[in-house]
Amino acid sequence: MPNPPLLELICPAGSLPALKAAVDNGADGVYLGLKDNTNARNFSGLNFDEKSLVEGIRYAQGKRRKVLMALNTYPQPATLPRWHKAVDTAATLGVDAIILADPGLMAYARKTHPQLRLHLSVQGSATSYEAVNFYRERFGIQRAVLPRVLSLAQVENVIENTDTEIELFGFGGLCVMVEGRCLLSSYACGDSPNTFGACSPGHAVRWEQTPKGMETRLNGVLIDRYADNEKAGYPTLCKGRFEVQGETYYALEEPTSLNSMDMLPEMARLGIAAIKIEGRQRSPAYVAQVTQVWRAAIDAVKKDRTTFKPLPAWQTALAKVSEGSMNTLGAYYRPWK
Amino acid sequence: MMLPTLHLPALPKPLLRLTAALPAWPLTPPTSRAFAFAANLAAWPSLRELDWSHVHGRHFCVQVSDIGLQLFFTLHADGFRSERRSRADVTFTASSADFARLALRLEDPDTLFFNRKLLIEGDTDLGLTVKNMLDAVELETAAARMPAGLGHLVLALRRLALKD
Amino acid sequence: MKLSLGPLLYYWSREDTLAFYQQAAEWPLDIVYLGETVCSRRHLLRLPDYLEIAEKLSAAGKEVVLSSQTLIESESDLKALRKLIADGRFKVEANEWGAVRLLAEAKQPFVAGPTLNAYNPDTLAMLADMGATRWVPPVEMPREMIWQMNQQMQAALPEAIRLETELFGYGRLPLAFSARCFTARHYNLQKDDCQFRCLDHPDGLVLASREGEDFLAINGIQTQSAKVMSLAHRFDELAAAGIDVLRLSPQARNMHRVVNIFRALADGDIKPAQAPAQLDRFMPAAPCDGYWLGEAGMAFHPVNNPITEGEPA
Repeated sequence: MPNPPLLELICPAGSLPALKAAVDNGADGVYLGLKDNTNARNFSGLNFDEKSLVEGIRYAQGKRRKVLMALNTYPQPATLPRWHKAVDTAATLGVDAIILADPGLMAYARKTHPQLRLHLSVQGSATSYEAVNFYRERFGIQRAVLPRVLSLAQVENVIENTDTEIELFGFGGLCVMVEGRCLLSSYACGDSPNTFGACSPGHAVRWEQTPKGMETRLNGVLIDRYADNEKAGYPTLCKGRFEVQGETYYALEEPTSLNSMDMLPEMARLGIAAIKIEGRQRSPAYVAQVTQVWRAAIDAVKKDRTTFKPLPAWQTALAKVSEGSMNTLGAYYRPWK
Repeated sequence: MMLPTLHLPALPKPLLRLTAALPAWPLTPPTSRAFAFAANLAAWPSLRELDWSHVHGRHFCVQVSDIGLQLFFTLHADGFRSERRSRADVTFTASSADFARLALRLEDPDTLFFNRKLLIEGDTDLGLTVKNMLDAVELETAAARMPAGLGHLVLALRRLALKD
Repeated sequence: MKLSLGPLLYYWSREDTLAFYQQAAEWPLDIVYLGETVCSRRHLLRLPDYLEIAEKLSAAGKEVVLSSQTLIESESDLKALRKLIADGRFKVEANEWGAVRLLAEAKQPFVAGPTLNAYNPDTLAMLADMGATRWVPPVEMPREMIWQMNQQMQAALPEAIRLETELFGYGRLPLAFSARCFTARHYNLQKDDCQFRCLDHPDGLVLASREGEDFLAINGIQTQSAKVMSLAHRFDELAAAGIDVLRLSPQARNMHRVVNIFRALADGDIKPAQAPAQLDRFMPAAPCDGYWLGEAGMAFHPVNNPITEGEPA
């Protein structure tokens, strides 16, 4: 039996050039989605059609890298066949795994394509081993991506009680809410990640330079106003500034990115199967930059995790491309909670 | 292996003078015409195979903040068309150096946005669509289809910057 | 149309909570959901307390359901969940899939809670097969989709299995869950040392935009709508979409008046058009109904817009 995977580097690919950037800079695998709401980065102009998908799979697998296809939104009654067709396409074209959130869709995949490897998406909101094992027993999922809400001690508890490989987010945009359990976007604009495949979709977002500063609105609701020297964040509600009891501040979370590089030795010790880099909505330049840094870091930690220390240059590079240009260890680090 | 910190110069003065000296046109500013002409020559050959149909006829404005340049154009089945400065569905604002870095794939638009160096005003969806579609074009392919010399220049500039 | 009292989403003092449920025993409700669904640190009532309340409510003729915690993070959370299921006297509302697994293993019938994300008939039929007897759609699900879900799911199930549909019909909408506590954050406290400030905000802590528009409400690790979802004015649209039970979510004051108004609606004593005039003054904030109509959740349309017979609008 082959060794279980350890700290595979899984990088985002919102386009063919991004996929190539990930592969060329050392990703072990890429994840991608189709050009519709079957995945949670449904932004216009982004993602793959069948032609670019075929080329992407050829390119990545030609260099022995994996292609994981995200089908991680929730199919709805009127459009269920679209998700089934996407699963069929993934199987036919030979992706290495599909990343799913919906149990009904997992049942379909399991029944129709028993050979196809299934991963549980972070959108499936599984935060305990009982939940992870539910998907494993029922649908044979081989890997679960855990929401960015658990501390490493809690992650360890999951790992100790399941045979499922565990994938964690390493770097990138940070959902402060449990993924799959956040409807803030649809409350403001009608579209949520669960059904529409995007949080704060472009059609509802307005940026405007005003005398008071740069304003961000979601369906008319003022999310934030930035002074000229302030860094901006994504137009998501969880990163907005609001007034609570007369005090205006980032009431839910600052515009910030997750960066868990400091915890790589601990993740190696726990046997984390893969590290995921967020950012399918970002450019090939970002993918190249971040993949390079994480490849070097993961190689270093695999060589000797006891002496591993992130190089300042890595951290500078990551900080530069971060939302709000700030980094946080997120929930992995207990006091954050 | 570190990231390039490319400092591209702003547009050289002679080039500015050149654009200003282009023949006047009753409806469109000469700079917009020059831009559309150049874009059709350099970029369109690699962009034309993408499906731009839902973008046809939409009005774009590119504002180059450091030199006060505004470019107005639309996109059609036969390429870029300059427009008079009456309206814009979406406006992109950045400095000449940042636009150049974006064009050379040295910089990530979101990074520029976080750092307040890129602003997309108006129809955000349209702006993001264009941004994402441009990201999906491979620079090498695009350069190969540019007029002789220009493609080499673009790739050489990028290599130079990455080495920097 | 049956009326249910949803699980108490806020953290009230022990006295207030016990008094609330003592009164609720007298209210014209069919079903009462009990239990802490939001935060494991809230401990003023524990399972034995809830079971005692459950017995009393049960004796008063209510169907009682014990709601499980939505975000399970630790082994102690799992321990609490197992205890809840092990008691076995009352049906459990499963609010995440770990609970579904344990309930199916124990072969206990259960209610599929709104955060299970049953967005399609396949998933719903699977839940029914595992023992769900009732489902609560995700709060964002529009009426057309609920109707379609019921049509397609019932078609896929054996005739004997009938899954009831319960809709979140009144109250601040539970929109998001986090590991992070926003109430503690507001008071510059760490979650582990939150001093239980949720106690000071019995209807949540309102968060407004920088233009002064009330927008969301903070309730510990949960984020709610500031507006109160209400379908009182659309009560006659519910049956056509296949709603069997309407859930009323507890609020700190005047809950009995809210229940009475919905009871009057269910009994046909008042018309939906008359409801807002009676209900508005008992609501802690302005109403919204956008989700029901397939719009932004915060939208509100006071005018009746009934679902067309048979086919979705």
